[in-house]
Amino acid sequence: MKDIDPVKALDDKVERLKKDVKSLGIRIDNAQTDAAQQKLSTTNQFRDTNRKITRTGDRVTELAESVHRLERLLVALNRKVRASETQKADFDTWPEVPDSLVATILAGQEAYARKTFTQQEAKNTRKAIAEYDRAALAAIDAADALTTLPAHAEALWRKKYREWRTITGRHRPELPDDDTHARDTAAKAAGNEAVARVRQTIRDRIEDAVARDLLFPAWFENMLGPAAPPGKADDWLHTATDVVLYRLLHGITSPADALGPAPKEQGHRRDLHDRLVVECADYRKP
Amino acid sequence: MAAEPFARLADRQHALRTALRALRAAGPGSPDFPALLAATDKEVEAVLQARRDVEAARLTVPNRATAAGTSVAALVVAVGWFDAWSLLSLVLAVATAAAVLVDPTGRTHWEPRARTAAISAALLAVLLTPLLNGWAALITAAGIAWWARRTLG
Repeated sequence: MKDIDPVKALDDKVERLKKDVKSLGIRIDNAQTDAAQQKLSTTNQFRDTNRKITRTGDRVTELAESVHRLERLLVALNRKVRASETQKADFDTWPEVPDSLVATILAGQEAYARKTFTQQEAKNTRKAIAEYDRAALAAIDAADALTTLPAHAEALWRKKYREWRTITGRHRPELPDDDTHARDTAAKAAGNEAVARVRQTIRDRIEDAVARDLLFPAWFENMLGPAAPPGKADDWLHTATDVVLYRLLHGITSPADALGPAPKEQGHRRDLHDRLVVECADYRKP
Repeated sequence: MAAEPFARLADRQHALRTALRALRAAGPGSPDFPALLAATDKEVEAVLQARRDVEAARLTVPNRATAAGTSVAALVVAVGWFDAWSLLSLVLAVATAAAVLVDPTGRTHWEPRARTAAISAALLAVLLTPLLNGWAALITAAGIAWWARRTLG
């Protein structure tokens, strides 16, 4: 039935629109509630996942630690198993390297450490010595004059005293010794030769130990690892020879510490010690 | 009393001669040379000190007398030729004279004669003050500079 009164019709329409708006409002509210709920659950899920990841991380760390422990246990077990069955390599006693050979090497190293005079330096030093001697004799003459001067001749006293003072603060340079130079050259040559021989001996024994799969001493494994790293066998052998030679030359006998404490004074031994520590750390890296 | 410093100087010179003979005999290349040189250096210092004592004994009285004369002359000039500008020279000269009166010879090797020079310069400055007024202070200052150079140098 069609409503004839336009006002009534309009009222109806307004009423309908009001209802529509109300239902829309309700729908929007519902949608908002849904969205909030969804967001909450996503956040919860996110937190859960995070917690899981953290737990997994902790677990991985624990696993890594236990793997490390296992690794060390394995090395120790390996040693024990091999110790019971295999022969041990001996890198501590060297009957084929007599004390005289060690002394020759040390003398060579000392000769290298000593300051050498070049020809020009020797010439300059001799000139300085001659100059000092001349000045010393002149000063002695001046002092001699002081023994006869009368007290009132002050100008002369001052002059002679000044001449005497020229020598008192100076030192006579050390005379360069030709013999020392020649001796040092010989000592260096003999030292180099002895080092080459001893190195060869040591290297042979290490290679033999590797070939026969002997058990290395504890200090050796501590320092150089259980075996040569792949592809670096020659370098490893070189360093190993140096470590053994270092122990031999400097009388290190510690069963665990390959190089002993670092020497305090600077010099060849200190340099070698530092170099070996760095090189060996490289070989121990996984 | 007066002969004592002379005798000591002679003794010291004799001791130095002995030390020098040993030093010369050892020669500069000898390993004992540094020790002998140090011993001889001590002897040289002792001789220098003995000579200073002789000089001090000789110059104590003249230096004191000159210092006293300088003080008196400064007083006379201050009164007779009074001038405010001249007072600078007179005060400086009197200060120098006071220092020399208290210790006429000093302690270092060349100081007795340096003090003689300083006090003579002060006396000269006082005597010239009527002519040069305050500028005479420069003469005293030069004397003091000479004294300082001999003492410190």
